Parts: sequence; structure tokens; C-alpha cells
Amino acid sequence: MLENSLFAALAAFMLGGAIAMIWLKQTLYGAFGFLCAMLALAGMFALLENSFLFLAQMLVAVGAVVVIGLMVIVSVNARVSNLPHEPNKLRWMLLGAALTLPFGLLLYRALIHLHRAFAPTASGFGSVKAVGQALFRDWALPFEIVSVLLLAAMLGAIVIARKEPNNDA
Amino acid sequence: MTPEPFFALASLLFCIGLVGMVSRRNLFVVYLSSELMLSAVNLVLATFSRVLGATDGAAIVLLMIAVIAAEAAVFLAAIIHLYRGRRTLDSDAFAALAQTKEER
Repeated sequence: MLENSLFAALAAFMLGGAIAMIWLKQTLYGAFGFLCAMLALAGMFALLENSFLFLAQMLVAVGAVVVIGLMVIVSVNARVSNLPHEPNKLRWMLLGAALTLPFGLLLYRALIHLHRAFAPTASGFGSVKAVGQALFRDWALPFEIVSVLLLAAMLGAIVIARKEPNNDA
Repeated sequence: MTPEPFFALASLLFCIGLVGMVSRRNLFVVYLSSELMLSAVNLVLATFSRVLGATDGAAIVLLMIAVIAAEAAVFLAAIIHLYRGRRTLDSDAFAALAQTKEER
């Protein structure tokens, strides 16, 4: 079964990247773990026959978000002495895992309770044409709201990150 | 293939993000954990889009990806601003709104 082995490989890649991200002390290595998880998520979209989502994930989440995160990490250039000192990291993470495990199980049980099989898909499912038609026919108003949100986020990012003119250290 | 492994993976991914968000103090890891939780939601939406054979889930995932990009811009700008002021990435250092013992 090619699909199952692909899924297993992508899932291992994704979970390994995610765990490396929350475990490693150096932020740059954590960002590389996040990159692994995002690449594997793009593969998952392809496995779910959503080719447009695969493209969008590759272009935006991998190509833009991770790259700008890496650029900020490199430009901040925090030394190890400026990173937080976390001696009880393992204890806190185990406690957090023990507390979130029941919630995760509940989430999983609720999700599999809804549907247990894939529907047969029509030809052209998940293509740019089908998703674009849905986006501009049924989801036109949310699309416009998101464009305003992106504009506001751009202005906010410029205002927040701007150097203040007189009281710089 | 059945949708169960996708749902299991999404639940696990969300939990990893939640654990990272509550147990780490590095601001970057907190930011990346929130992105990870949003991505887990994306995976659930894409799986439902495939399960139901409907394209609406894919449209919502596209809007979510745009929201993730907006969040990245604002959060990274905020990290740069905070680091410039205190020269640390420790989230415990930014407690200006916290109630200290003397005030209580």
C-alpha cells in the first residue's frame, strides 16, 4: 500500500519536527523542526487530493512564514545567555502532556465519531478551478475580510517593529 | 485509506502545540506552537473536505493560511520590539501587566 507507507513516513516526519520544535533549546533548530512539520503537512494535503492546498501551503506556510521566521531569528541573533534558562523543562513538558492527553483523546474520539470513510471524489476535486470557484462564489465575503485583515496586520507590523525616534538604547 | 489516522495525527499535533505553548518560556517557541495548533486545525478541515467530497473545507483552509501569514507578521514584529527593549527572549521578563506581591 503506497498510500499507507507515504502517510507513515509523512507522519513520522511531522511528529518528529513538532517534538524537536518544542524540545530543542536553540530557536534556530526549533524553526527547522517547524519547517519539517509544515513540509509534511503539505504532503498530507497532497495525500488528501487537495492539490491547491498543497500549493498554497508550500508557497505561504513554507515559503513565506517559515522563511520570515528564520530571518527574524537570524536578525535577532540571540546568544545562549539571552535565551531563557529552563532547568525544569522536562518536568513541565511531562506535566503539560499528562494534562493535555485526555483533551487530545476527547478530540480524537469526537472526530472519528463523525465520519469513518472517505466519500468518492468527483474528478477535479481540490483543483485550483474547483477551490477558486468555491472561494469566489460562496466565500467571497470572508475572502474580502481576510484581505482587510492582511492589510491591518501589515500596518500593525510596521508600527510595532519601527524604531522609536528619541528613546533608543 | 480511512480518515482515522488523519484525525489522530491532527489531535496529536494540536496537543504537541498546546504543550509547547504552556511549558516553554522562549517567545519563539510559543509563537511556533501557536502556528502548529492552527496547522492542526487546517489538517482537520482538509480531511473533512476530503471526507465529505466538498470544496468548502479547502476554501476555509485557504483563508486560514492567510490568517496564519497575518499572525506571523504581527507576532514576529512584536518579538523584535520586545527583544529590542529587554535583550531577552524569556517570556517571564515581560510581566508589566502582572500583579506583583507588593501590590496585592
